[in-house]
Amino acid sequence: MKPSVEQLIEKYRNNLYVMAFNVCKNTQDAEDVVQDTFIQYWSQKKEFESEQHIRAWLIRVAINKAKNKNNTFFRRNSLPLEDYMQTLVFESEESSELFEAVMNLPEKYRIVIHLYYYEDYSVNEIAAILKLTQSNVKVRLSRGRLLLRNTLKEDWEYDE
Amino acid sequence: MTNKEKYKKAFSAVCPSDEFSLEVEKMKKINKQNIFKTVAASAAVCMIFMASATVAYAMDVGGIQRTVQLWIHGDRTDATIQFDGDGTYNMEYTDAEGNEKSMGGGGVAFADDGSAIPLSEEELMEELMAPDVEYKEDGSVWIYWMDQKIDITDKFENGFCYVKLVNGEETLYMTVRYKGGYATSNHRYLGPDEWRGN
Repeated sequence: MKPSVEQLIEKYRNNLYVMAFNVCKNTQDAEDVVQDTFIQYWSQKKEFESEQHIRAWLIRVAINKAKNKNNTFFRRNSLPLEDYMQTLVFESEESSELFEAVMNLPEKYRIVIHLYYYEDYSVNEIAAILKLTQSNVKVRLSRGRLLLRNTLKEDWEYDE
Repeated sequence: MTNKEKYKKAFSAVCPSDEFSLEVEKMKKINKQNIFKTVAASAAVCMIFMASATVAYAMDVGGIQRTVQLWIHGDRTDATIQFDGDGTYNMEYTDAEGNEKSMGGGGVAFADDGSAIPLSEEELMEELMAPDVEYKEDGSVWIYWMDQKIDITDKFENGFCYVKLVNGEETLYMTVRYKGGYATSNHRYLGPDEWRGN
C-alpha cells in the first residue's frame, strides 16, 4: 500500500513536527525535517505493509533526519529554549515545567520517552523503530523517567 | 491524570509556525530538483563505464585478473577485477538482486614535474579496499570495510565521528566528517582542526 502524500501530511504533519522538534530543539530545522521526510516518502517507490508500517517509517526517517541536522556544522541560529518557551501557550505551569524537563534530557533518553509517552509506542515497537535492543530501550526509558522524577518530583508519577 | 496524559498536554503547545506550509506542488518542485541531481550523477557514472568499456578491448589481449570481496552499494560481494596496466580496471560482480553488473575506473598520480603516472595494480587495489562511507536514504550512516559493516549514525559529535577499525594486525583510525569525506591513519585520528580547508 502507498497512500497519497496529501493524506499522510494531513494525518502526521504535527506529530512529525513535534518529534523533529524534540530532537532538533529548533523550529526551522524541525520544519525542514518534516518537509524532507514527506519528500522522501513521495519520491521513493517503497511499498508499505500497513498504516502502522508507514507511521513507524515516517517517524524513523524524521528522527534520523533530525539527528543529521544536529550533526551538521552549519546549524541555524536557534532561540534558547527558555525564549522559545515564552512563545508557547501552555495550559498550566505544570505542563510548562514538564516540557522544559523533557527538553533538558539527553537526546537518547528524550527520543525514547517521547515515543513512549507521546506516540504511545511499546518498548518492542520503539526498539524496532530505533533499531535498538528491547533491554536498551528499557534502560533508556527507565533513566529518562528517573531524571524526570528527580526534576518534577510529585508531578511525575512512578510508572513501569 | 496519568503521565501520558500530562506529557501529551504539555507537548500540545508545540506546533509548526503559521508560515510553515507543506504544499504538495512546492514539494514536487523540490523533488524535481532532486531527480535532476540524481540524473547528473548517473550520467557521470555512464561516462566512467564507457571509458572502461573501451579499455576492455585492450584487456582481451592480456592483463591481470583478481577476484576479491568488496562492498558495493552496501552489499558484500565477490568481484572479478581486471587490471590492464595503464591505471584502469574493469570490474564485474553480481548485485543483491542477482543481476550481473559491470563497472570500471582508474586513476593517476602526479609526479613532481606535473606529469601523470598511472596507478599501479597495488595502488588501485588499495583504493578499492579502502573503507567506504554510505549515507542511506533513511538518514543512517554506515562504514563498510573488509568484513565489517558499522552503523555510525549516532556517533557524530560536532560533525565528526571517530572509528577504530581493526582487521587482523591492521588498525585504521578513521575520522569521518559528516558528508565531508574521511581520513584514515594507522597511528592516530585526524583532528577537526587539521582538516584540510578548515
